[in-house]
Amino acid sequence: MVTASSLRVVKPGKWPPTVFSTVLLFREALYGALVIALACSVLGVYVVLRRIVFVGAALAQISSAGIALALWLAGVGIALGPVTEPTVVSLLLTLGAVMFFASGARGRVPPDATIGVTYAVAAAVGILLIAKAATGEAHDIFLSGNILGITRRDTLVLLGVTLPVLAVHAVFYKELLFVSFDRETARTLGYNVRWWDLLLYLTLGVVIASAMQFAGVMLVFNFLVLPAVTGLLLSRTMRGVFFWSVASALVAAFVGFSLSVPFDLPSGPAISAASGAFVLLAWGARRTITRS
Amino acid sequence: MTSLVTFDRATLGYGRRAVLTDISFDIPEGDFLGLVGPNGAGKTTILRALLGTLEPLGGSVTRSPELRFGYVPQRDQVDYNFPLKVVDVVMMGRYDRIGLGRRPTADDRRRAHQALEHVGIDRLADYPLADLSGGQKQRTLIARALVGEPNVLVLDEPTNGMDLVATTQILGLVRELHDRDRLTVLMVSHALNEVANYVERIALVVEGGFRIGTTDEIMTEQALTEMYGIPVEVDSFDGHRIVVARRQTGEMATDSV
Repeated sequence: MVTASSLRVVKPGKWPPTVFSTVLLFREALYGALVIALACSVLGVYVVLRRIVFVGAALAQISSAGIALALWLAGVGIALGPVTEPTVVSLLLTLGAVMFFASGARGRVPPDATIGVTYAVAAAVGILLIAKAATGEAHDIFLSGNILGITRRDTLVLLGVTLPVLAVHAVFYKELLFVSFDRETARTLGYNVRWWDLLLYLTLGVVIASAMQFAGVMLVFNFLVLPAVTGLLLSRTMRGVFFWSVASALVAAFVGFSLSVPFDLPSGPAISAASGAFVLLAWGARRTITRS
Repeated sequence: MTSLVTFDRATLGYGRRAVLTDISFDIPEGDFLGLVGPNGAGKTTILRALLGTLEPLGGSVTRSPELRFGYVPQRDQVDYNFPLKVVDVVMMGRYDRIGLGRRPTADDRRRAHQALEHVGIDRLADYPLADLSGGQKQRTLIARALVGEPNVLVLDEPTNGMDLVATTQILGLVRELHDRDRLTVLMVSHALNEVANYVERIALVVEGGFRIGTTDEIMTEQALTEMYGIPVEVDSFDGHRIVVARRQTGEMATDSV
């Protein structure tokens, strides 16, 4: 994994000015983290409200298994051009899972158990593939991501994915909200609920797959859940929840990233810890307001 | 009177499994119909066929052109974790009229407030939905159904889980909407005693059996005993009919049908 110390830019004796100069060195990575935070925190509001948190976790795990598969293929010398690129393999596997989850297929196995099986199998297969991949540091990247490795080009690619997804969510906000809130009534008004579910899951899959290779399972899952929970604790309107979700994700990304660089901490867990701190603060604020 | 919906020898069910066979009835304009039966008897199946979300396995279900339903779901079908204001929920009833990707206009907002006023809770427009009582939540869902300007108001178990006062108020409101606005109403309920004193016709669904008629026709001991397969008494108290099922031991048990 790329850390600040590996590039020998840390000078603890000159903190805090060194903090800013060090963070500036990695500003491209910071921009990338902020884009991931923005995309995931918007979609995370639906993930939390629709109670599909574990679908998010399973998609993240499948996406990472896709990256592992691509790394393993590269390790054994199988290269089929763009099709075996980590992002592409990850996206294809994730979209396959999206189609499955959005189909709402009902069988004898309860839906949450199906998600659990998917999660466990994807995690196991991913780890097995990584164990046999030639890339030495792949295992760390698989778990914690490689935020510091984000380049300007990566950030632009992330933006290229994020902006259309956010545009779709802005344009079809009321439709996505309606089918999420009361699907039966939406159906009686002529809404094709499955189609809207599929659209939501597709945007979710695209964002997860594009963020996964940089952010790792932990950070993507964190951004899908924790900021939205912060938003729900701090606001009682949809607009407020979206605002606080996005704001807390961006600030957590900035604070976590900024602290991880000079203190030579892994960025993903540092950002996740900052998100967790925001949830605690929001919970405290909510309790204080409720009591007063 | 114009028929809004016609079930013609309709067989209804899921996959290959028929729940109800050969159902024939129609809902004329201005009707106030109670669809009554125990849980699992097939009320929801009829409701879905009526709303067009379930295709009949046989026969036909015909809806008049331009027919528009105002659907009031069961209260627990709605997720109260969503941080929505009452007026935002009511506005959803106009979403299909507003159109894909478009935002509600000032006129839509005015109509949402009018609908809330119509059901007596305009003062709660900016309250979080989750903070309302059961009766207020039900009024919100009725306002949402009304704001779409429906031909038929369809309510699914509107008094489920409510206390006596809230039940009486909600049923009174529905009756008022029917009388005042001449709105066609279909009310689905498992509680015959509640519905029978408000509706004009009753469709009774019991274990695959189906019978429809005016309240006077259905609320007879003979009809109910035949349908439920147990001895039933229909008593009258101050103009209200009360159905009482006799236990086999001979003791009386109210509210068992």
